[in-house]
Amino acid sequence: MALNKTKRKNNELKVALAGNPNSGKTTMFNELTGSRQHVGNWPGVTVEKKTGRDSYQNYSLEVIDLPGTYSLGAYSEDEVVARDFLTTGDYDVVLNIINSSNLDRNLYFTVQLLEMGVDLIAVLNMADEAEKKGIKIDKEKIGQLLGTPVVETVASKGRGIDSLLAETVQHRDLSEAALKIDYGSEVEDLISEVVSMLKEFDFTSQINQRWAAVKLIEHDPEAVKLLEREVGVSKAKKIKSLIAERELKAEDDFDNIIIDKKYEFINKVISESVQRPAADQEPENVSDKIDAIVTNKYLGIPIFMAVMWGIFKFTFTLGDPLIGYIEAFFEAAGGWLGGLLVGAGISPLITSFITDGIIGGVGSVLVFIPNIFLLFLAIGILEDSGYMSRAAYVMDKVMSKLGLHGKSFIPMIVGFGCNVPGVMATRTLDSKRDRIISILINPLMSCSARLPVYVVFAGALFPNHASTVVFSLYALGIVMAVIMAGIFNKILFKGERSHFVMELPPYRFPTLKGVFIHMWEKVGAFIKKAGTIIFAVVVLIWVLANLPLGVEYASAQSLIGQFGQLMAPIFEPLGFGNWQAASSLVFGILAKEVVVGTLGVVYAAGEGGLRAALTANFSPLAAYSFLTMVLLYTPCIATLGAIKSETQSWKWPIITASYLFVLAWLVSFVIYQGGMLLGIGV
Amino acid sequence: MPLAMLKPGETACIKKINGGRTAKGKLTDLGFVSGKTVKIHRSSGGPLIVGLGDNRVALGRGMAHKVIVETKGCEN
Repeated sequence: MALNKTKRKNNELKVALAGNPNSGKTTMFNELTGSRQHVGNWPGVTVEKKTGRDSYQNYSLEVIDLPGTYSLGAYSEDEVVARDFLTTGDYDVVLNIINSSNLDRNLYFTVQLLEMGVDLIAVLNMADEAEKKGIKIDKEKIGQLLGTPVVETVASKGRGIDSLLAETVQHRDLSEAALKIDYGSEVEDLISEVVSMLKEFDFTSQINQRWAAVKLIEHDPEAVKLLEREVGVSKAKKIKSLIAERELKAEDDFDNIIIDKKYEFINKVISESVQRPAADQEPENVSDKIDAIVTNKYLGIPIFMAVMWGIFKFTFTLGDPLIGYIEAFFEAAGGWLGGLLVGAGISPLITSFITDGIIGGVGSVLVFIPNIFLLFLAIGILEDSGYMSRAAYVMDKVMSKLGLHGKSFIPMIVGFGCNVPGVMATRTLDSKRDRIISILINPLMSCSARLPVYVVFAGALFPNHASTVVFSLYALGIVMAVIMAGIFNKILFKGERSHFVMELPPYRFPTLKGVFIHMWEKVGAFIKKAGTIIFAVVVLIWVLANLPLGVEYASAQSLIGQFGQLMAPIFEPLGFGNWQAASSLVFGILAKEVVVGTLGVVYAAGEGGLRAALTANFSPLAAYSFLTMVLLYTPCIATLGAIKSETQSWKWPIITASYLFVLAWLVSFVIYQGGMLLGIGV
Repeated sequence: MPLAMLKPGETACIKKINGGRTAKGKLTDLGFVSGKTVKIHRSSGGPLIVGLGDNRVALGRGMAHKVIVETKGCEN
């Protein structure tokens, strides 16, 4: 029933994947398209639709992965994405991915799709988990009762994919009748009256009229809006008042009756087609045993902090020696290549471009691949295990003091990897107020791009306390986020209450494949970033360091030097009023790694590499103040862009950029001037 | 009585869901429907963790007050 279906060639098919969170949708997408999408074991992994391709026999398939959704109610942004696509999108068939071991709740969504008249194939996924639980499903019977084809699969093991594809290519152009559930005489009478009014008012024939009537009776705001748009406000009012009038006379709210009848129908389908072992009341499973400890009132928060500390330690302790090797490699390569180029009579300018610009700039960023690799490995394990939603549960206590709830904590953890997906992950929050606050504080979560800056400074100036210094920055970010959330909660839109309901999926052992896909994707993105934006900025800085012609490379008289000097007074009270630091911060807004890249280029001339240059130019106190600035100041343009597109307004990225700059300046000021007064690290 | 009043380990039968469209809708989506058995796994000041069959759901106190249950349990 896709409204905007465009004409396609006979052998081209557009297939949408839809289903509940945790039904294996993304795994299925990866299986079908071979794409390396990350699968996480927490609600809201996919917050926007993603597209991939597959081919079967002589068919070419475009596969669209929609955000997981429990119903067509669309209570949060990610669900709106799914619903809008399903009601008006351009597709041929929907593969409704169903978690076989959780039929009743999954079928609630299936039934809604079928009522709407969507062409779908019911995919009973995770069939192995159902088997393990002793659940026997008669798929012919289920298909017959629902009036839709049914295929059994285990996407994680590639089972049933061929038959699914065979069914998919056969299924096209079967517009069967929409499913009809009997809502009882009272509601049914009203439905037929509303339908005849819709016909009389020439309501669009593209939408199943019975479905529209049911939605109107449920007071679905989108349906009401559509009605008003289609038939005008005054005619819409006639329908609305008819419904209101009947509802007054009725014993129960109509939406309650509709929900109950839907579940009644589903229960009937299940009782006729599914055999469950006559189990004693839900025996305690392994997940419950883990949860008894992990979500314990007293242990929950300490365990969460231990997990975070563990991730941090893992990233640094294992990463540090590897960084040393790569650093040594780049230094040796720079020296060797420089000698070779000079020896071969290559002009000093080109030699400088390669050794100072590329190796000094891009190389100083690429050195941190091991850290990035390990950080995302750890985050990947955390996400796949199912612990994320437990962390959100545990942190609810803290978050609720800030007027947010536990679910708002998930985007913050995602932000430790990168703030762009962190900002996007706020789509799972249903209240606008919660979303805006979560977006505003997300850049305070120290992302992986800032890690290189910390590590290079901590290594140079705090060689004996490097990991403590870096950890203190992460902690400072969280503390600032908490403080700012508290402040925003006081000054921003009051009143709007949000609803905390969140599924706690069963724990799963992270698969090597899943975690590695996640990690490769992130490390690949990092290398790509180093090869594109960071490379481009570094080249630009190298050029600016060589202009005007004849100037001494990277001197105060060069363009970059002059520019930096212009900016430096702003940072003078913070302890790093040198032009190198100032220009690195300005260019760092393009991408935070560029801070290191810029310093690499402008300090490349010195003996002993970047570390020696930093030790010579920064006192420990000034370095810590600089790192605080890097942690807190204006987020990178990619993050600001994400904020713009998520909030649909320039207001919020501008507010974020400016409040963070002011905050960073103030905190660095307090740290530096306070340190000076006390005589610490001068 | 509201689900929020139950103690850990207790089971009850859902009778009714109160609340506005969003609250009711979100609860229904996760399987809080009248006639279903619900078990309290954790209730210690903060949000509750409840079991609906094999599913585990974390539920804020406010939301748990919207779920009206009867401790006698469901008929079937």
